Amino acid sequence: MKHLKPINRKAEHLDRLAEEGKVEEARVMQVVNGCTSTFDPGWEVDPFGGIAALCQPVEADLYGCSDPCWWPAQIPDTINTSPNWNADSPSGNRDWRNLQPVFRKK
Amino acid sequence: MKSKSLAAALVCLCVLALPATASAKEFILTSVKPNTLVLVDAAARKVERSYALAGDGSPLGIVTSPDGKIAYVVTNHWGSLIGIDLDSGQEVFHADFSHDDLRVRNMFGLEISPDGKELFVMQSPVRLGQGEYEVKDVGIAVYGTDAGLKATPRRVLPVPRRTTNLLISPDGKRLYAVGWDVLTLDPADGKVLKVDKVLNWDRPDQAPPDLFGVWIQYEQAGIFANPYYTTRAGADPKDPAAARTGMLVLDLATGKFTMSEFEDTSAIMFSSVVNPVRRNEAFSIYNTLTKTDIESNRLIKRVTLPHTNYCLNISGDGKEVYTAGTMGDIGIYSSETLERIGQIDLPGGNDMAGSWIRMVQR
Repeated sequence: MKHLKPINRKAEHLDRLAEEGKVEEARVMQVVNGCTSTFDPGWEVDPFGGIAALCQPVEADLYGCSDPCWWPAQIPDTINTSPNWNADSPSGNRDWRNLQPVFRKK
Repeated sequence: MKSKSLAAALVCLCVLALPATASAKEFILTSVKPNTLVLVDAAARKVERSYALAGDGSPLGIVTSPDGKIAYVVTNHWGSLIGIDLDSGQEVFHADFSHDDLRVRNMFGLEISPDGKELFVMQSPVRLGQGEYEVKDVGIAVYGTDAGLKATPRRVLPVPRRTTNLLISPDGKRLYAVGWDVLTLDPADGKVLKVDKVLNWDRPDQAPPDLFGVWIQYEQAGIFANPYYTTRAGADPKDPAAARTGMLVLDLATGKFTMSEFEDTSAIMFSSVVNPVRRNEAFSIYNTLTKTDIESNRLIKRVTLPHTNYCLNISGDGKEVYTAGTMGDIGIYSSETLERIGQIDLPGGNDMAGSWIRMVQR
């Protein structure tokens, strides 16, 4: 943890538990409950260290994983904040070029 | 004549007393984007009817009434449960989960009582404050199916966070909640009747198992099966036997629960279905279709699929396996040989995404 600095109470709690050897108590939820709790770097490897066991083709997985915020890159949250992001693109494999970034309105 | 009339009357009574499913035909129920429920004639290999659901979002969980007439579907970005009469296409049930300052979402858990009178819906609420979110306790909201178009829960059963799936015994007396452990609950009050350990299992030489139980497709065999993955403590990571794949099996009628490994991990599998005829056969799916024997715990056969699928189901005669989820086609496979014997293209070629696939007799 020495290279990461906690910036909120939850992170401070995790930091403290790690020092006490109780990090298991702060284990992340098995089920993602909102896109803000997804912290993936934007790339993914399979359990075997390759990519063959990822979804094939990658577009097949796009909506099945992005709807529940499982997608490994940061994309719009279709459950809450950007519900219509893919409304006009009902096939990920065919329509992915239509998908656009979103910008929060102030 | 009198005896003939009596016999005829008895025949009529017997026919009337037969369950509605006696002469029923088998259909597949699934959904595609945008927000469309799809009824498929499995034998004819064609889409029988599509139902455009009101509102936004693509459907997720699907359960049907015991008579096969009404489908209850989670939609509206996992914020509503609606009931559709499959004959008229009319909405006959509607529950919006969010209310007041609570934003409530369903994530996967959805079940209906065997008498068709109650719906069990896993709900995760968050209170939206002025400048903060407050995560509230999760629970199973219980709705009466007669609650109409502004349904509210009759009661809420407490369950641990991370509960993903709900399954009910055929007699309606036990509700199974699948999470880090499998809890057997009294559906009336949520009292915990039994705990079958999963992540908390007592196997010090093995890592806690990882499983991904979010699709419900047990209706043909009455058995919930779900693949799991574990590693052997202290094993050389390069040892192929360090990681093991097993099957969690729960018989909904008896409550018998087992977790047994059948291979060194060599493929990912998301969900499984059990053959209702040869009940030792389980079929599992992801990039491959895998057939295993859940009695002898061995791999029988594995074939590669044209694309990833998340979920699958099986015909009532146990002969055909239907692959679903992700893209816009249902693949049909022989349960005997795992040969691809057909395909049903869904409306518009649109994605099923995370939708369930259910079998319904009607």
